[in-house]
Amino acid sequence: MASDSRKKSVVFSRPWTSLRKLIQALALLAFLVLFVAARGENPGSTTNLFLRLDPLLALVNLLATKALVAGTAVALITVALTFLTGRSWCGWLCPLGTILDWIALHRWKKGKWTPSKGWRGVKYALLLLTLFAALLGGLTLLIFDPLTILTRGLAVGVLPALDKLVIAAETALYQLPALRAPVLEVDALLRPLILPPTPVATRSGALFAGLLIVVVLLNLFAERFWCRYLCPLGALLGLISKVALLRRRIGPGCVGCTLCTDACPMGTINPAEDYASDPGECTMCLECLDDCPLGATTFAPILSVNPMRDYDPGRRQVLVTLGAALGGMALIRTVDPELDHPFSLRPPGADPEEFFSQCVRCGQCMRACPTAALQPALTEAGIEGFWTPVLIPRLGYCDYGCNACGQSCPVEAIPPLPLELKQQQVIGRAEIDQERCLPWIKEQECIVCEEVCPLPEKAIELELAEARLPTGEIIVLQRPVVIHDLCIGCGMCEYKCPLDGAAAIRVYAHCSGGGGQRDGQGRRRGEQPGG
Amino acid sequence: MENKTRRAFLQWMAIQMGAVFGGSLLASCGGQEPHSLQTTALPIAKPIQPTELDPTNAPAQTEQATAEPSATPNGHPHIAVARGGEPEALVRHAVAALGGMQLFVNPGDDVIIKPNVCVDYRTYEYAATTNPWVVGEIVRMCLEAGAGRVRVMDFPFGGDSESAYSSSGIQEQVLAAGGEMEPIRFLKFVETAIPDALDLKKCQIYEDVLLADVVINVPIAKHHSLARLTLGMKNLMGVIRDRPYMHGNLGQRLADLTSHVRPALTIIDAVRILQRSGPTGGRLSDVQKLDTVIASPDIVAADSYAATLFGLQPTDLSYIVSGLNMGLGRADLETMKIEEIAVGV
Repeated sequence: MASDSRKKSVVFSRPWTSLRKLIQALALLAFLVLFVAARGENPGSTTNLFLRLDPLLALVNLLATKALVAGTAVALITVALTFLTGRSWCGWLCPLGTILDWIALHRWKKGKWTPSKGWRGVKYALLLLTLFAALLGGLTLLIFDPLTILTRGLAVGVLPALDKLVIAAETALYQLPALRAPVLEVDALLRPLILPPTPVATRSGALFAGLLIVVVLLNLFAERFWCRYLCPLGALLGLISKVALLRRRIGPGCVGCTLCTDACPMGTINPAEDYASDPGECTMCLECLDDCPLGATTFAPILSVNPMRDYDPGRRQVLVTLGAALGGMALIRTVDPELDHPFSLRPPGADPEEFFSQCVRCGQCMRACPTAALQPALTEAGIEGFWTPVLIPRLGYCDYGCNACGQSCPVEAIPPLPLELKQQQVIGRAEIDQERCLPWIKEQECIVCEEVCPLPEKAIELELAEARLPTGEIIVLQRPVVIHDLCIGCGMCEYKCPLDGAAAIRVYAHCSGGGGQRDGQGRRRGEQPGG
Repeated sequence: MENKTRRAFLQWMAIQMGAVFGGSLLASCGGQEPHSLQTTALPIAKPIQPTELDPTNAPAQTEQATAEPSATPNGHPHIAVARGGEPEALVRHAVAALGGMQLFVNPGDDVIIKPNVCVDYRTYEYAATTNPWVVGEIVRMCLEAGAGRVRVMDFPFGGDSESAYSSSGIQEQVLAAGGEMEPIRFLKFVETAIPDALDLKKCQIYEDVLLADVVINVPIAKHHSLARLTLGMKNLMGVIRDRPYMHGNLGQRLADLTSHVRPALTIIDAVRILQRSGPTGGRLSDVQKLDTVIASPDIVAADSYAATLFGLQPTDLSYIVSGLNMGLGRADLETMKIEEIAVGV
């Protein structure tokens, strides 16, 4: 009874905070539900809703491609919301923000170091750098967008790790006959809804989850460290918030009790400035409103431009970041060693020439891909293409009956093709390594690559050849040969090749085969002389 | 000369098998309890070592088999072939000719039906996956025979099981008939020793197949470039986990696998057969509509008959030869009792 009335009193005494926490939880739940639903063959267009609500992704894609993807216009809702209510996205809706609120590591803070005010400028510098680079066609810095950090971190880091744990636990518990039924029940709940139905391979999950984990660990130094100092989306919304309609105001009743200063998770309520705050930093969490015992804190419409702070970007920062973006892009494009990586296989239908300036590095396609064939590029796409999706056929194949990646891409960098069209997209071309292929080198029967080739007219044919066994016996063997004009590079053959280690048949991005949807020569912007 | 020897050998084999087969059928008619790991009425014959197979050494027992080695109890044929009708009618007539589903399914039985659902991107018209109405009708007949639970399963190599069940059209017919689809759970692949195996001594087999009271094998007859055809024995690849491994010494390993899985009934869907580009197909021009269903409790016999649909001899298929060597069934189409039924439209 006592706890009941106490709960009630918390809700009544802190109505705004309670409402915000409820909405935060619902928004995070919605994000996770959509994320989970994004896997499989018909993800639908709503599963990437949160990514399309992200105005940074939309703006950067717009700047780089000079064309607006209709679906990303949803981000205008967030922009409008920000014009009305400031960075309420950060305080009420952002799924990463909510996670950072919940994992309040600052309570265990040991060290004395607190970032100086100037650190707040880092996020603006990152934002400007991202925008200028985008103007030059480089979207690499979007790996620091909060929604891409979360989506990619979950898709290729956290979930694969969880899967491995679950597999280990299930396999161990399944040995006990009494537990078989319950283990299968749990397994049926998890697969294929959340985890892949049969184990899939991934690589370097720790790296991708790592960024997400670092962002969380930064909370050790300050509450919502990421949101205060680093988040480029927060910076974009913060700039808009300078002119937002609804802003925090201190009434005459303030006696300087500092309760609001202590309560502010963004640390932007400054006693030295009469407890005023920077709307560019305020996430509209309304903790201060609920905490003010005297009702001196209010949020009211204000029609003026909020004064700039010394950490806000000035002319100098703009010029410096512009220069850095120019220099950085030029440098990357000069030294980038991986322009012609043989295995930089793009998702079906993606234009390899334009992909770097379209892909927002969110990882949604990697969540959608049911075979985990799509993985973030490590070395396959150079520095500029870092963490863009590449197809790794040894880990997973592009399922002939699936077009999920195109449907899930929020910016249509992978075009949303109908299945019949997707089945004609040339991802690459397979080549047989006759030095390793069993029937070519070892006189052993194997036709797996031919068998699994999904094309109606198989792109692998079998040549008959006589071979002499070690016993001296002469046998007729079938040896696989790739018909380049037919191959679409789905990678099924490479995936299923029974050899240990690298397959004896591999899909190459650059193949002299020609034909298909590619010219097979020019790769992408910046590669051509003078480009 | 050699031909004659082979024929003599095959005849000898057939007679042996016929005796074993007939005897075991008799035994099983006597209300034998189904074994948990042995899902067929046929006993697992001891593998016959090739050296013992020399017909010149064949014991004189040949005489004890009569001139009609193919006679079966109750006069049921070894193979029933139904032609020319709707898929449901074909299945029903073929199984009825074998004596009806109640010979194979006892009341309360846990039945696993294993069609071929190899990929998740073909509809049934392409003859890469078993005809959905054939599967649906088998489910219905099992339930009519009093089966306690009827599940349909396959482990596709392209796409996951659930998407393949739905895209093949099989799920719809199975659910409509009152059966269940078994989504593949990787946990259920259990390392299993195959005692009679000559090569595949152990293998990860889907445990529900081993635990079921009855397994009904429902392949579609189609081309395959290594096995030449994928029929009943080849269809059992779908109950194991590591398939690429099977491809070395495929015929023997399939026979080894068959020796352990032992479906009680094999029903080969030849409503449409895939003549080229198997096992995945994708061109209607490679599909031939035969409106035929072949059923037999003897998997080797069913496969042998189905081979002739493609103009092949049973012994053209390595797994049939291996199956014969292991005593898994018979291939002497000339001497077996085969009932051909013209269903009509």
